[in-house]
Amino acid sequence: MLDEAFAVLKQYDWGSDMAPLAPIEDAVAVSHDQAEVRRDLENRLIATLQSDASRDAKDYVCRKLAIVGTVAAVPALASMLGQKDYSHMARMALERMPAPEAAQALRDATGKVSNELKVGVISSLGSRRDAASVSVLNVLLNDGDPAVARAAALTLGAIGSVDAAAVLKVAATSAARDKPAVIDALLACAEALLAGQKQTDALAIYRSLAADNQARLVRLAATRGILACTSKQS
Amino acid sequence: MSRRTVYAWLVLGALLLFPSVTSIAADTPNEFLQLVVKLISDSDREFRAAGLDHVRTSAGGSEDTKLFAGRLPELDPAAQTALVSALADRGDPAARPAIVGLLKSSADESVCTAAISALGKLGEPADLPLLMTYLSSKSAAEQAAAQASLTQMRGEKITKALAAELSSGSPTTKAALIEVLADRRASNELPAFLTASVDDNAQVRTAAMAALGQLGSAGQLAALLPGILKAQRGGERDAAEKSVALVCSRIDNEDDRGTQLIKALDAVDMAQRDQLLSLVGRVGGKKLIDFVGQIATAGDAERRKLGIDALSKWPDASTADTLLEIANNTKDSAERSQAFQGYVKIAATRDKRNDGQRLDRMKQAMQAAKSNEEQLLVINRCRTAYDVETLRFVFPYVDKAPFAETACETIVELAHHREIRDPNKVEFNKALDQVIAISKNPEVVERANRYKRGETWERQAKAAN
Repeated sequence: MLDEAFAVLKQYDWGSDMAPLAPIEDAVAVSHDQAEVRRDLENRLIATLQSDASRDAKDYVCRKLAIVGTVAAVPALASMLGQKDYSHMARMALERMPAPEAAQALRDATGKVSNELKVGVISSLGSRRDAASVSVLNVLLNDGDPAVARAAALTLGAIGSVDAAAVLKVAATSAARDKPAVIDALLACAEALLAGQKQTDALAIYRSLAADNQARLVRLAATRGILACTSKQS
Repeated sequence: MSRRTVYAWLVLGALLLFPSVTSIAADTPNEFLQLVVKLISDSDREFRAAGLDHVRTSAGGSEDTKLFAGRLPELDPAAQTALVSALADRGDPAARPAIVGLLKSSADESVCTAAISALGKLGEPADLPLLMTYLSSKSAAEQAAAQASLTQMRGEKITKALAAELSSGSPTTKAALIEVLADRRASNELPAFLTASVDDNAQVRTAAMAALGQLGSAGQLAALLPGILKAQRGGERDAAEKSVALVCSRIDNEDDRGTQLIKALDAVDMAQRDQLLSLVGRVGGKKLIDFVGQIATAGDAERRKLGIDALSKWPDASTADTLLEIANNTKDSAERSQAFQGYVKIAATRDKRNDGQRLDRMKQAMQAAKSNEEQLLVINRCRTAYDVETLRFVFPYVDKAPFAETACETIVELAHHREIRDPNKVEFNKALDQVIAISKNPEVVERANRYKRGETWERQAKAAN
């Protein structure tokens, strides 16, 4: 039944009857605690990805790999990151896969794919809150393409670690091109640090943004942040 | 090793292990409070709001509350108002002295109103005299705030203290106090309300009767009647009657309700009882129909008039037959007119009967009508029977000159109800065409045109008196 389902899947397009794909859906559910079923299913999904299956079929496969995918699926997905029609599908799977190799594939792709696709790849690193990407993002902060630099800043904010904050602090005081994005990211970082019980680090960021030379809304956000930090400690 | 030494080592260990925490502990509590205090007086509303959020919610003790409240004298009125409101929400009575001080010293209406409101949450019995002075304030906002605060303050002591003030004070204060006590559900104060219900001041009487309406019980019915008799005819009398009717409505059984009201009426003399017949009409019930019916057909014309008036105020159509009988049998034309009008009014009441039953009554009235005026009245009131049969009944009058305009009005009123218009579109369109051709009232013609197009029409609000 699974063979038939995969045969149908190759020609699949969104809008047609999904009933023939039910065995795949069932296998995904069963694979949760059956390693062998999972391995077999993942291999079939990877094979479909590497075949001449329809675009929608590959989209479907990526959605399933986001659930069952392991390190074995990373190379196939990574090879799609530079392809305009498939990049976002591959990112969706790589964002959700727990394997560190998935993050590495995304990091590697930032040096290979076009700027247009790079923005998405960078934001996927943010979705993973991948702390190991801080140094890569630090470089990208100064990218010549403003969209890439902005994506790097916002992703550092999403990562929200102490290291990410340190990089953003430097960018905030230097002549960064998109300062509002850097400051937004810094505020996001502080919020994440506060949520992670790192009041001291969060407070330092908020204090640095509460000065009179900052924009009114930034000062207001920073002031609220200082109150949140200090009220927890008082 | 003593317990104290062990403790000292533990503290030292903690300090060495968590240096960042200790450095924060040294400066942040003050920083937090200082920042809140600074924000409270910020000229930017949003920054001020950020500080006030923490006044409302931060879990400091009374010392923090006093610190915040201590800023009140330095602020501008807008900031004072906001801070007082935040302190009230904080709910710590430690802010009370500062708020009382502000209330006594400020001339700003918004500040005073906020302070009065805050005392509803933070005040104590000692604040009653101050709050009561605002019950007769020239500012409506301050008056309303004082009334709300006096209602809000908790405790039987407060209720007692407020009741004690009923014997003194201006009529405005007395009336406001009665409203406060009623809102506090002070049922122990009913004797004081009964005394106030026959006060020489209409404002006090009105408040007392309203309070008795809310809190009174069947046992007080006889004692409530002097309040109606003392009330001036018109709005005050109507309101007083409604209050007593409200007390009656709390007697579940209809027969009991009639019996108890009759018993209460027996306690007043005949002349006064006749004046209370209107109340009987408001209460309704089979037992009371007989009681009023006898008066409405008695030998004395003046009493009959009062009786017919009472039957015409009945809350449902159960007096319709009695009224029609009086209308048909009386030889007095004025009495005939009064009874007939009462019959049509009662027959048209939208009570539990269905529209067909209402229309049957209208047909009965049309048969009994003896003049064009009476027929016009019937055609006019037919609009309360939402039925296509009513259209069929009224439509022929469109072609009869004396009734045409009233019939047109009734037809558009019926057409207004989409639920009867839509299923009978052909019939209604034919009638509306006739209305458009005949009516001289532009509004009626416009409505007819709109209904024909399937549109609705927004009724104009009646102009305030």
